[in-house]
Amino acid sequence: MSAIYDLIRYAQLKHRAFTEIVEDLDDTKFHFSAKDNLCADGFQARAGSAVLDGYRPPFDATPIRKMKDSGGQLVGKTTMDEFGFGTFSTNSAHGVPLNPFDLERSCGGSSGGAGAAACLIPGHIALGVSTGGSISGPASFCGVVGLTPTYGRVSRYGLIDYGNSLDKVGLLSRSSSLVAKHFRTISGPDPKDPTSCAQPVLADRGKMPRSLAVPKEALQNLDPAVRSSFQDALSRFKELGTEVHEVSMPSLRFALPAYYILATSEASTNLARYCGMRFGRREEELNQHFNDFFTGVRSESFGDEAKRRILLGTFCRMVGFRSRYYLKSLAVRQLLIEEYQKVFRDHDAVVTPTMPFIAPRFEEIGRMKTLEMYGADVLTVPPNLTGMPHISVPCAYVKGLPVGMQLVADHWKELDLLEAASAWEKAFIYRFPEVSP
Amino acid sequence: MDRETIARVAKVARLNLTEEEMERYAKDLDDILNSFSVLDEAPAGDTYSFNPIPVVDVLREDEPGQDLDPQVLRDQMGTYEGFVRGPRLS
Repeated sequence: MSAIYDLIRYAQLKHRAFTEIVEDLDDTKFHFSAKDNLCADGFQARAGSAVLDGYRPPFDATPIRKMKDSGGQLVGKTTMDEFGFGTFSTNSAHGVPLNPFDLERSCGGSSGGAGAAACLIPGHIALGVSTGGSISGPASFCGVVGLTPTYGRVSRYGLIDYGNSLDKVGLLSRSSSLVAKHFRTISGPDPKDPTSCAQPVLADRGKMPRSLAVPKEALQNLDPAVRSSFQDALSRFKELGTEVHEVSMPSLRFALPAYYILATSEASTNLARYCGMRFGRREEELNQHFNDFFTGVRSESFGDEAKRRILLGTFCRMVGFRSRYYLKSLAVRQLLIEEYQKVFRDHDAVVTPTMPFIAPRFEEIGRMKTLEMYGADVLTVPPNLTGMPHISVPCAYVKGLPVGMQLVADHWKELDLLEAASAWEKAFIYRFPEVSP
Repeated sequence: MDRETIARVAKVARLNLTEEEMERYAKDLDDILNSFSVLDEAPAGDTYSFNPIPVVDVLREDEPGQDLDPQVLRDQMGTYEGFVRGPRLS
Protein backbone atom coordinates (compact mmCIF):
# COMPACT_ATOMS: atom_id res chain seq x y z
CA MET A 1 0.00 0.00 0.00
CA SER A 2 2.88 2.40 0.65
CA ALA A 3 3.61 2.48 -3.09
CA ILE A 4 0.18 3.91 -3.86
CA TYR A 5 0.58 6.56 -1.12
CA ASP A 6 3.95 7.55 -2.60
CA LEU A 7 2.25 7.86 -5.98
CA ILE A 8 -0.51 10.00 -4.47
CA ARG A 9 1.99 12.32 -2.72
CA TYR A 10 3.97 12.70 -5.97
CA ALA A 11 0.78 13.37 -7.99
CA GLN A 12 -0.32 16.03 -5.47
CA LEU A 13 3.03 17.82 -5.82
CA LYS A 14 2.67 17.85 -9.60
CA HIS A 15 -0.96 19.00 -9.39
CA ARG A 16 0.00 21.83 -7.03
CA ALA A 17 2.82 22.96 -9.32
CA PHE A 18 0.49 23.03 -12.35
CA THR A 19 -2.20 24.89 -10.41
CA GLU A 20 0.20 27.56 -9.14
CA ILE A 21 1.44 28.28 -12.64
CA VAL A 22 -2.13 28.50 -13.96
CA GLU A 23 -3.20 30.84 -11.11
CA ASP A 24 -0.27 33.20 -11.80
CA LEU A 25 -0.99 33.34 -15.49
CA ASP A 26 -1.50 36.64 -17.31
CA ASP A 27 -5.24 37.10 -18.05
CA THR A 28 -4.55 37.66 -21.73
CA LYS A 29 -3.12 34.15 -22.11
CA PHE A 30 -4.75 30.74 -22.14
CA HIS A 31 -3.02 27.74 -20.63
CA PHE A 32 -2.15 24.46 -22.25
CA SER A 33 0.07 21.47 -21.60
CA ALA A 34 1.79 19.07 -23.96
CA LYS A 35 2.42 15.36 -23.81
CA ASP A 36 6.07 14.71 -23.13
CA ASN A 37 6.77 13.35 -26.63
CA LEU A 38 6.20 16.81 -28.14
CA CYS A 39 9.34 18.93 -28.25
CA ALA A 40 9.16 22.36 -26.60
CA ASP A 41 11.93 24.90 -26.19
CA GLY A 42 12.84 25.24 -22.51
CA PHE A 43 11.44 21.88 -21.42
CA GLN A 44 12.92 18.41 -21.32
CA ALA A 45 11.32 16.05 -23.87
CA ARG A 46 11.68 12.54 -22.47
CA ALA A 47 8.68 10.70 -23.92
CA GLY A 48 8.44 8.72 -20.69
CA SER A 49 11.83 7.09 -21.32
CA ALA A 50 15.02 7.06 -19.26
CA VAL A 51 16.98 6.97 -22.51
CA LEU A 52 15.93 10.60 -23.10
CA ASP A 53 16.71 11.90 -19.61
CA GLY A 54 18.27 15.34 -19.96
CA TYR A 55 17.25 15.90 -23.59
CA ARG A 56 16.24 19.54 -24.07
CA PRO A 57 15.20 20.25 -27.66
CA PRO A 58 16.07 23.77 -28.82
CA PHE A 59 12.82 24.22 -30.76
CA ASP A 60 9.02 23.94 -30.54
CA ALA A 61 7.01 21.22 -32.26
CA THR A 62 4.68 22.82 -34.82
CA PRO A 63 1.46 22.27 -32.79
CA ILE A 64 3.12 23.87 -29.75
CA ARG A 65 4.41 26.79 -31.77
CA LYS A 66 0.92 27.37 -33.19
CA MET A 67 -0.65 27.30 -29.72
CA LYS A 68 1.91 29.82 -28.45
CA ASP A 69 1.41 32.05 -31.51
CA SER A 70 -2.32 32.20 -30.78
CA GLY A 71 -1.79 33.36 -27.18
CA GLY A 72 -1.22 30.11 -25.36
CA GLN A 73 1.21 29.56 -22.52
CA LEU A 74 2.72 26.13 -22.16
CA VAL A 75 2.46 25.43 -18.43
CA GLY A 76 4.00 21.96 -18.40
CA LYS A 77 4.63 18.61 -20.00
CA THR A 78 2.44 15.62 -19.15
CA THR A 79 3.60 12.12 -18.31
CA MET A 80 3.03 9.16 -20.59
CA ASP A 81 3.88 5.53 -21.23
CA GLU A 82 7.41 5.18 -22.57
CA PHE A 83 7.27 6.33 -26.23
CA GLY A 84 3.48 5.71 -26.09
CA PHE A 85 3.83 1.98 -25.38
CA GLY A 86 0.89 1.32 -23.10
CA THR A 87 -2.81 1.61 -22.32
CA PHE A 88 -2.62 2.63 -18.65
CA SER A 89 0.35 5.07 -18.35
CA THR A 90 2.05 2.62 -16.02
CA ASN A 91 5.06 2.09 -18.35
CA SER A 92 6.77 5.40 -17.64
CA ALA A 93 10.22 6.15 -16.22
CA HIS A 94 8.87 9.44 -14.83
CA GLY A 95 5.84 8.76 -12.68
CA VAL A 96 2.37 7.30 -13.04
CA PRO A 97 -0.60 9.71 -13.32
CA LEU A 98 -3.53 8.97 -10.99
CA ASN A 99 -7.14 9.06 -12.07
CA PRO A 100 -8.79 12.19 -10.62
CA PHE A 101 -12.04 10.22 -10.05
CA ASP A 102 -10.27 7.56 -7.97
CA LEU A 103 -6.59 7.90 -7.14
CA GLU A 104 -6.13 4.13 -7.01
CA ARG A 105 -7.11 3.76 -10.65
CA SER A 106 -5.43 4.41 -14.00
CA CYS A 107 -5.88 7.52 -16.16
CA GLY A 108 -5.55 5.36 -19.25
CA GLY A 109 -2.70 5.70 -21.68
CA SER A 110 -0.57 6.57 -23.19
CA SER A 111 -1.59 10.25 -22.84
CA GLY A 112 -2.59 9.61 -19.21
CA GLY A 113 -1.04 12.80 -17.86
CA ALA A 114 -2.90 14.79 -20.51
CA GLY A 115 -6.18 13.15 -19.49
CA ALA A 116 -5.59 14.03 -15.83
CA ALA A 117 -4.62 17.64 -16.61
CA ALA A 118 -7.68 18.13 -18.85
CA CYS A 119 -9.95 16.75 -16.12
CA LEU A 120 -8.41 18.58 -13.16
CA ILE A 121 -7.94 22.10 -14.53
CA PRO A 122 -11.02 24.01 -15.75
CA GLY A 123 -10.41 25.79 -19.05
CA HIS A 124 -7.28 23.76 -19.71
CA ILE A 125 -6.39 22.29 -23.08
CA ALA A 126 -4.01 19.33 -23.14
CA LEU A 127 -2.18 18.32 -26.31
CA GLY A 128 -2.10 14.54 -26.58
CA VAL A 129 -0.81 12.11 -29.16
CA SER A 130 -2.52 8.95 -30.35
CA THR A 131 -1.03 6.00 -32.18
CA GLY A 132 -3.55 3.28 -31.27
CA GLY A 133 -5.95 4.98 -28.85
CA SER A 134 -3.79 7.15 -26.63
CA ILE A 135 -6.18 10.11 -26.69
CA SER A 136 -9.53 8.29 -26.63
CA GLY A 137 -8.47 5.92 -23.83
CA PRO A 138 -7.43 8.61 -21.32
CA ALA A 139 -10.42 10.76 -22.34
CA SER A 140 -12.70 7.84 -21.50
CA PHE A 141 -11.10 6.99 -18.14
CA CYS A 142 -10.72 10.65 -17.06
CA GLY A 143 -14.19 11.76 -18.21
CA VAL A 144 -13.13 14.43 -20.72
CA VAL A 145 -13.51 15.12 -24.43
CA GLY A 146 -10.65 13.77 -26.55
CA LEU A 147 -10.32 14.47 -30.27
CA THR A 148 -7.95 12.45 -32.45
CA PRO A 149 -7.83 14.17 -35.86
CA THR A 150 -7.39 12.48 -39.23
CA TYR A 151 -3.86 11.23 -39.80
CA GLY A 152 -2.06 14.15 -41.47
CA ARG A 153 -4.39 16.93 -40.25
CA VAL A 154 -1.93 18.18 -37.62
CA SER A 155 1.79 18.45 -38.31
CA ARG A 156 4.00 15.87 -36.60
CA TYR A 157 7.09 18.07 -36.84
CA GLY A 158 8.72 17.99 -33.42
CA LEU A 159 6.89 14.85 -32.31
CA ILE A 160 9.08 12.02 -31.02
CA ASP A 161 7.95 9.21 -33.32
CA TYR A 162 6.36 5.97 -32.24
CA GLY A 163 4.78 4.80 -35.53
CA ASN A 164 5.12 7.26 -38.41
CA SER A 165 2.08 6.04 -40.31
CA LEU A 166 -0.10 6.06 -37.18
CA ASP A 167 0.88 9.00 -34.94
CA LYS A 168 -1.63 11.87 -34.63
CA VAL A 169 -1.50 14.98 -32.42
CA GLY A 170 -4.88 15.83 -30.85
CA LEU A 171 -6.56 17.56 -27.93
CA LEU A 172 -8.21 16.79 -24.60
CA SER A 173 -10.34 19.17 -22.54
CA ARG A 174 -13.45 19.40 -20.38
CA SER A 175 -15.58 20.74 -23.25
CA SER A 176 -15.93 20.18 -26.97
CA SER A 177 -16.03 23.94 -27.61
CA LEU A 178 -12.45 24.36 -26.34
CA VAL A 179 -11.34 21.33 -28.32
CA ALA A 180 -13.04 22.72 -31.46
CA LYS A 181 -11.41 26.13 -31.02
CA HIS A 182 -7.89 24.80 -30.62
CA PHE A 183 -8.30 22.07 -33.22
CA ARG A 184 -8.44 24.94 -35.73
CA THR A 185 -5.32 26.43 -34.14
CA ILE A 186 -3.10 23.36 -34.49
CA SER A 187 -4.32 21.93 -37.81
CA GLY A 188 -3.17 22.87 -41.31
CA PRO A 189 -0.39 22.03 -43.75
CA ASP A 190 3.21 22.33 -42.61
CA PRO A 191 6.06 22.04 -45.13
CA LYS A 192 8.12 20.42 -42.38
CA ASP A 193 5.75 17.41 -42.38
CA PRO A 194 4.83 16.29 -45.92
CA THR A 195 2.05 14.02 -44.61
CA SER A 196 0.22 17.17 -43.45
CA CYS A 197 0.25 18.73 -46.91
CA ALA A 198 -2.44 16.56 -48.55
CA GLN A 199 -5.28 17.80 -46.34
CA PRO A 200 -8.35 19.67 -47.59
CA VAL A 201 -9.06 23.10 -46.12
CA LEU A 202 -11.22 23.05 -42.98
CA ALA A 203 -14.81 24.13 -43.58
CA ASP A 204 -16.47 26.86 -41.51
CA ARG A 205 -18.44 24.27 -39.59
CA GLY A 206 -19.38 20.60 -39.72
CA LYS A 207 -22.67 18.78 -40.24
CA MET A 208 -24.46 17.16 -37.34
CA PRO A 209 -24.41 13.38 -37.98
CA ARG A 210 -27.97 12.20 -38.71
CA SER A 211 -27.30 8.47 -38.91
CA LEU A 212 -24.99 6.51 -36.59
CA ALA A 213 -23.77 2.97 -37.30
CA VAL A 214 -23.06 0.54 -34.46
CA PRO A 215 -20.89 -2.41 -35.57
CA LYS A 216 -22.20 -5.51 -33.84
CA GLU A 217 -18.67 -6.99 -33.74
CA ALA A 218 -17.58 -4.12 -31.47
CA LEU A 219 -20.10 -4.97 -28.78
CA GLN A 220 -18.54 -8.30 -27.83
CA ASN A 221 -16.62 -8.85 -24.60
CA LEU A 222 -17.70 -5.58 -22.99
CA ASP A 223 -18.08 -5.07 -19.26
CA PRO A 224 -21.89 -5.42 -18.75
CA ALA A 225 -22.09 -1.98 -17.10
CA VAL A 226 -20.32 -0.37 -20.05
CA ARG A 227 -22.61 -2.17 -22.50
CA SER A 228 -25.77 -1.04 -20.73
CA SER A 229 -24.49 2.55 -20.33
CA PHE A 230 -23.71 2.60 -24.04
CA GLN A 231 -27.21 1.34 -24.94
CA ASP A 232 -28.69 4.14 -22.77
CA ALA A 233 -26.49 6.67 -24.58
CA LEU A 234 -27.75 5.41 -27.95
CA SER A 235 -31.35 5.90 -26.75
CA ARG A 236 -30.48 9.46 -25.78
CA PHE A 237 -28.95 10.05 -29.23
CA LYS A 238 -32.23 8.83 -30.77
CA GLU A 239 -34.09 11.38 -28.64
CA LEU A 240 -31.86 14.04 -30.22
CA GLY A 241 -33.29 13.01 -33.60
CA THR A 242 -30.36 10.86 -34.69
CA GLU A 243 -30.95 7.49 -36.35
CA VAL A 244 -29.01 4.54 -34.94
CA HIS A 245 -28.49 1.37 -37.02
CA GLU A 246 -26.65 -1.86 -36.31
CA VAL A 247 -24.13 -2.80 -39.03
CA SER A 248 -21.59 -5.56 -39.56
CA MET A 249 -17.87 -4.84 -39.97
CA PRO A 250 -16.33 -8.32 -40.08
CA SER A 251 -12.80 -7.10 -40.75
CA LEU A 252 -12.64 -5.37 -37.36
CA ARG A 253 -11.28 -8.62 -35.92
CA PHE A 254 -8.09 -8.16 -37.94
CA ALA A 255 -7.46 -4.62 -36.69
CA LEU A 256 -5.70 -5.39 -33.40
CA PRO A 257 -3.00 -7.73 -34.81
CA ALA A 258 -2.48 -5.56 -37.90
CA TYR A 259 -2.08 -2.49 -35.70
CA TYR A 260 0.39 -4.09 -33.30
CA ILE A 261 2.49 -5.44 -36.16
CA LEU A 262 2.66 -2.11 -38.01
CA ALA A 263 3.13 -0.06 -34.85
CA THR A 264 5.93 -2.20 -33.44
CA SER A 265 7.62 -2.56 -36.84
CA GLU A 266 7.74 1.20 -37.20
CA ALA A 267 8.72 1.71 -33.55
CA SER A 268 11.59 -0.75 -33.76
CA THR A 269 13.18 1.28 -36.55
CA ASN A 270 12.39 4.65 -34.98
CA LEU A 271 14.00 3.68 -31.69
CA ALA A 272 17.24 2.71 -33.42
CA ARG A 273 18.32 6.35 -33.07
CA TYR A 274 18.59 6.05 -29.26
CA CYS A 275 22.12 4.82 -28.96
CA GLY A 276 23.73 6.96 -26.26
CA MET A 277 25.13 9.64 -28.56
CA ARG A 278 22.65 12.05 -30.11
CA PHE A 279 19.79 12.44 -27.64
CA GLY A 280 19.35 12.29 -23.90
CA ARG A 281 21.40 9.81 -21.97
CA ARG A 282 25.00 9.81 -23.13
CA GLU A 283 27.28 6.86 -22.64
CA GLU A 284 30.71 8.07 -21.55
CA GLU A 285 32.66 4.81 -21.94
CA LEU A 286 33.97 5.60 -25.40
CA ASN A 287 36.69 2.98 -25.34
CA GLN A 288 34.20 0.30 -26.36
CA HIS A 289 33.39 -1.26 -29.70
CA PHE A 290 30.44 0.67 -31.19
CA ASN A 291 28.17 -2.38 -31.03
CA ASP A 292 28.77 -2.82 -27.28
CA PHE A 293 28.44 0.95 -26.75
CA PHE A 294 25.03 1.17 -28.46
CA THR A 295 23.73 -2.11 -27.05
CA GLY A 296 24.74 -1.29 -23.48
CA VAL A 297 22.93 2.03 -23.22
CA ARG A 298 19.79 0.70 -24.91
CA SER A 299 19.63 -2.37 -22.68
CA GLU A 300 20.02 -0.32 -19.50
CA SER A 301 17.65 2.52 -20.44
CA PHE A 302 14.65 1.00 -22.22
CA GLY A 303 11.84 -0.30 -20.03
CA ASP A 304 10.27 -3.75 -20.18
CA GLU A 305 7.43 -2.93 -22.61
CA ALA A 306 9.73 -0.93 -24.89
CA LYS A 307 12.05 -3.93 -25.18
CA ARG A 308 9.09 -6.25 -25.86
CA ARG A 309 7.80 -4.03 -28.67
CA ILE A 310 11.24 -3.52 -30.19
CA LEU A 311 11.73 -7.31 -30.27
CA LEU A 312 8.26 -7.93 -31.73
CA GLY A 313 8.68 -5.28 -34.43
CA THR A 314 12.19 -6.44 -35.30
CA PHE A 315 10.96 -10.02 -35.67
CA CYS A 316 8.00 -9.02 -37.87
CA ARG A 317 10.32 -7.18 -40.27
CA MET A 318 12.89 -9.96 -40.57
CA VAL A 319 13.48 -11.72 -43.88
CA GLY A 320 11.18 -14.70 -44.09
CA PHE A 321 8.45 -13.16 -41.92
CA ARG A 322 7.91 -9.78 -43.55
CA SER A 323 5.22 -10.92 -46.02
CA ARG A 324 3.28 -12.84 -43.42
CA TYR A 325 3.21 -10.03 -40.88
CA TYR A 326 4.19 -6.57 -42.12
CA LEU A 327 2.90 -6.65 -45.71
CA LYS A 328 -0.25 -8.53 -44.68
CA SER A 329 -0.97 -5.87 -42.07
CA LEU A 330 -0.64 -3.10 -44.66
CA ALA A 331 -3.19 -4.95 -46.83
CA VAL A 332 -5.52 -5.34 -43.83
CA ARG A 333 -5.33 -1.61 -43.15
CA GLN A 334 -6.51 -0.95 -46.72
CA LEU A 335 -9.29 -3.53 -46.30
CA LEU A 336 -10.48 -1.80 -43.13
CA ILE A 337 -10.40 1.66 -44.74
CA GLU A 338 -12.65 0.31 -47.49
CA GLU A 339 -14.95 -1.32 -44.94
CA TYR A 340 -15.32 1.94 -43.00
CA GLN A 341 -15.95 3.88 -46.20
CA LYS A 342 -18.64 1.42 -47.24
CA VAL A 343 -20.41 2.12 -43.93
CA PHE A 344 -19.98 5.88 -44.45
CA ARG A 345 -21.96 5.66 -47.72
CA ASP A 346 -25.13 5.17 -45.64
CA HIS A 347 -24.15 6.59 -42.23
CA ASP A 348 -22.35 9.68 -40.96
CA ALA A 349 -20.39 8.13 -38.11
CA VAL A 350 -19.57 4.81 -36.45
CA VAL A 351 -20.20 4.74 -32.71
CA THR A 352 -18.98 2.33 -30.02
CA PRO A 353 -17.97 2.53 -26.39
CA THR A 354 -14.40 3.90 -26.17
CA MET A 355 -12.98 1.27 -23.80
CA PRO A 356 -14.40 -2.17 -22.97
CA PHE A 357 -14.31 -1.40 -19.21
CA ILE A 358 -14.09 1.49 -16.75
CA ALA A 359 -10.71 2.65 -15.42
CA PRO A 360 -9.09 -0.35 -13.72
CA ARG A 361 -7.31 -0.33 -10.36
CA PHE A 362 -3.50 -0.44 -10.44
CA GLU A 363 -3.57 -3.80 -8.68
CA GLU A 364 -5.80 -5.20 -11.46
CA ILE A 365 -3.41 -3.85 -14.10
CA GLY A 366 -0.52 -5.52 -12.26
CA ARG A 367 -2.23 -8.89 -12.74
CA MET A 368 -2.95 -8.43 -16.46
CA LYS A 369 -1.03 -10.47 -19.02
CA THR A 370 0.52 -8.67 -22.02
CA LEU A 371 -2.17 -9.89 -24.43
CA GLU A 372 -4.95 -8.72 -22.10
CA MET A 373 -3.38 -5.26 -22.07
CA TYR A 374 -3.14 -5.17 -25.87
CA GLY A 375 -6.75 -6.37 -26.05
CA ALA A 376 -7.93 -3.33 -24.06
CA ASP A 377 -7.25 -1.28 -27.22
CA VAL A 378 -9.70 -3.29 -29.32
CA LEU A 379 -12.18 -0.42 -29.80
CA THR A 380 -9.68 2.42 -30.25
CA VAL A 381 -7.31 0.65 -32.64
CA PRO A 382 -9.58 0.46 -35.76
CA PRO A 383 -9.94 4.22 -36.33
CA ASN A 384 -6.28 4.77 -35.43
CA LEU A 385 -5.05 2.09 -37.82
CA THR A 386 -7.12 3.56 -40.66
CA GLY A 387 -6.31 7.20 -39.87
CA MET A 388 -10.00 8.06 -39.36
CA PRO A 389 -10.79 10.99 -37.04
CA HIS A 390 -12.54 10.06 -33.80
CA ILE A 391 -13.78 11.69 -30.63
CA SER A 392 -14.43 10.29 -27.18
CA VAL A 393 -17.04 11.93 -24.94
CA PRO A 394 -18.28 10.93 -21.48
CA CYS A 395 -21.64 9.14 -21.83
CA ALA A 396 -22.32 7.68 -18.35
CA TYR A 397 -20.94 7.20 -14.84
CA VAL A 398 -20.63 3.73 -13.33
CA LYS A 399 -19.69 3.50 -9.65
CA GLY A 400 -18.84 7.21 -9.92
CA LEU A 401 -16.40 6.56 -12.76
CA PRO A 402 -16.83 7.89 -16.30
CA VAL A 403 -17.67 5.75 -19.32
CA GLY A 404 -16.59 7.00 -22.74
CA MET A 405 -18.38 6.82 -26.09
CA GLN A 406 -16.35 7.01 -29.30
CA LEU A 407 -17.58 8.40 -32.62
CA VAL A 408 -15.59 7.80 -35.80
CA ALA A 409 -16.06 9.73 -39.07
CA ASP A 410 -14.58 9.51 -42.54
CA HIS A 411 -11.17 11.07 -43.24
CA TRP A 412 -11.10 14.87 -42.75
CA LYS A 413 -14.58 15.08 -41.15
CA GLU A 414 -13.49 16.13 -37.67
CA LEU A 415 -15.94 19.04 -37.65
CA ASP A 416 -18.90 16.65 -37.96
CA LEU A 417 -17.65 14.86 -34.84
CA LEU A 418 -17.35 18.16 -33.00
CA GLU A 419 -20.93 19.04 -33.97
CA ALA A 420 -22.07 15.70 -32.54
CA ALA A 421 -20.06 16.25 -29.34
CA SER A 422 -21.53 19.73 -28.95
CA ALA A 423 -25.10 18.42 -29.37
CA TRP A 424 -24.33 15.60 -26.93
CA GLU A 425 -23.13 18.06 -24.27
CA LYS A 426 -26.48 19.82 -24.37
CA ALA A 427 -28.24 16.54 -23.54
CA PHE A 428 -25.76 15.06 -21.06
CA ILE A 429 -24.09 16.93 -18.19
CA TYR A 430 -20.45 16.05 -17.53
CA ARG A 431 -19.20 15.66 -13.96
CA PHE A 432 -15.75 16.48 -12.66
CA PRO A 433 -14.27 15.46 -9.33
CA GLU A 434 -13.14 17.91 -6.66
CA VAL A 435 -9.45 17.24 -6.10
CA SER A 436 -7.57 19.78 -4.03
CA PRO A 437 -3.97 20.35 -5.03
CA MET B 1 10.12 -19.22 -30.23
CA ASP B 2 13.42 -20.98 -29.61
CA ARG B 3 16.37 -19.48 -27.79
CA GLU B 4 18.41 -19.12 -30.97
CA THR B 5 15.69 -17.04 -32.68
CA ILE B 6 15.09 -14.66 -29.77
CA ALA B 7 18.86 -14.23 -29.38
CA ARG B 8 19.14 -13.36 -33.08
CA VAL B 9 16.27 -10.85 -32.85
CA ALA B 10 17.82 -9.23 -29.77
CA LYS B 11 21.17 -8.93 -31.52
CA VAL B 12 19.60 -7.22 -34.54
CA ALA B 13 17.70 -4.89 -32.17
CA ARG B 14 20.91 -4.08 -30.25
CA LEU B 15 19.56 -5.33 -26.92
CA ASN B 16 21.43 -7.41 -24.35
CA LEU B 17 18.99 -9.79 -22.68
CA THR B 18 19.55 -11.79 -19.50
CA GLU B 19 18.65 -15.48 -19.52
CA GLU B 20 15.46 -14.66 -17.62
CA GLU B 21 14.51 -11.94 -20.13
CA MET B 22 15.32 -14.22 -23.05
CA GLU B 23 12.94 -16.87 -21.73
CA ARG B 24 10.20 -14.41 -20.81
CA TYR B 25 10.23 -12.43 -24.08
CA ALA B 26 10.39 -15.65 -26.15
CA LYS B 27 7.21 -16.85 -24.44
CA ASP B 28 5.52 -13.42 -24.77
CA LEU B 29 6.33 -13.21 -28.48
CA ASP B 30 5.07 -16.77 -28.97
CA ASP B 31 1.77 -15.93 -27.27
CA ILE B 32 1.39 -12.67 -29.18
CA LEU B 33 2.21 -14.16 -32.59
CA ASN B 34 -0.08 -17.15 -31.98
CA SER B 35 -2.97 -14.81 -31.26
CA PHE B 36 -2.06 -12.75 -34.36
CA SER B 37 -2.36 -15.84 -36.58
CA VAL B 38 -5.97 -14.73 -37.16
CA LEU B 39 -4.41 -12.52 -39.83
CA ASP B 40 -3.88 -15.64 -41.95
CA GLU B 41 -7.69 -15.66 -42.40
CA ALA B 42 -7.75 -12.12 -43.81
CA PRO B 43 -8.16 -11.91 -47.57
CA ALA B 44 -4.88 -11.30 -49.37
CA GLY B 45 -5.35 -7.73 -50.63
CA ASP B 46 -3.41 -6.66 -53.68
CA THR B 47 -3.42 -2.97 -52.83
CA TYR B 48 -1.86 -1.21 -49.90
CA SER B 49 -0.16 2.02 -49.05
CA PHE B 50 2.39 2.92 -46.41
CA ASN B 51 0.12 5.70 -45.12
CA PRO B 52 -3.62 5.65 -44.39
CA ILE B 53 -4.20 8.74 -46.57
CA PRO B 54 -2.73 9.66 -49.96
CA VAL B 55 0.47 11.63 -49.46
CA VAL B 56 1.55 14.10 -52.14
CA ASP B 57 5.02 15.29 -52.97
CA VAL B 58 5.49 18.85 -51.80
CA LEU B 59 8.33 20.94 -53.13
CA ARG B 60 9.41 24.32 -51.80
CA GLU B 61 11.61 26.96 -53.33
CA ASP B 62 15.24 25.95 -52.93
CA GLU B 63 16.29 28.92 -50.85
CA PRO B 64 19.09 28.70 -48.33
CA GLY B 65 17.93 29.15 -44.74
CA GLN B 66 18.80 28.16 -41.21
CA ASP B 67 16.20 27.24 -38.61
CA LEU B 68 18.68 26.42 -35.86
CA ASP B 69 22.21 27.49 -35.15
CA PRO B 70 24.35 24.33 -35.61
CA GLN B 71 26.22 25.31 -32.46
CA VAL B 72 22.99 24.80 -30.48
CA LEU B 73 22.85 21.23 -31.77
CA ARG B 74 26.55 20.65 -31.09
CA ASP B 75 26.01 21.83 -27.51
CA GLN B 76 23.58 18.92 -27.07
CA MET B 77 26.19 16.39 -28.14
CA GLY B 78 29.50 15.30 -26.67
CA THR B 79 31.98 17.25 -28.77
CA TYR B 80 35.74 17.68 -28.70
CA GLU B 81 37.40 20.41 -30.78
CA GLY B 82 34.40 20.55 -33.09
CA PHE B 83 34.11 16.79 -33.54
CA VAL B 84 31.36 14.58 -32.12
CA ARG B 85 32.82 12.03 -29.74
CA GLY B 86 31.81 8.43 -30.39
CA PRO B 87 32.88 4.84 -29.70
CA ARG B 88 35.57 2.87 -31.50
CA LEU B 89 34.66 1.49 -34.92
CA SER B 90 36.97 -1.51 -34.64
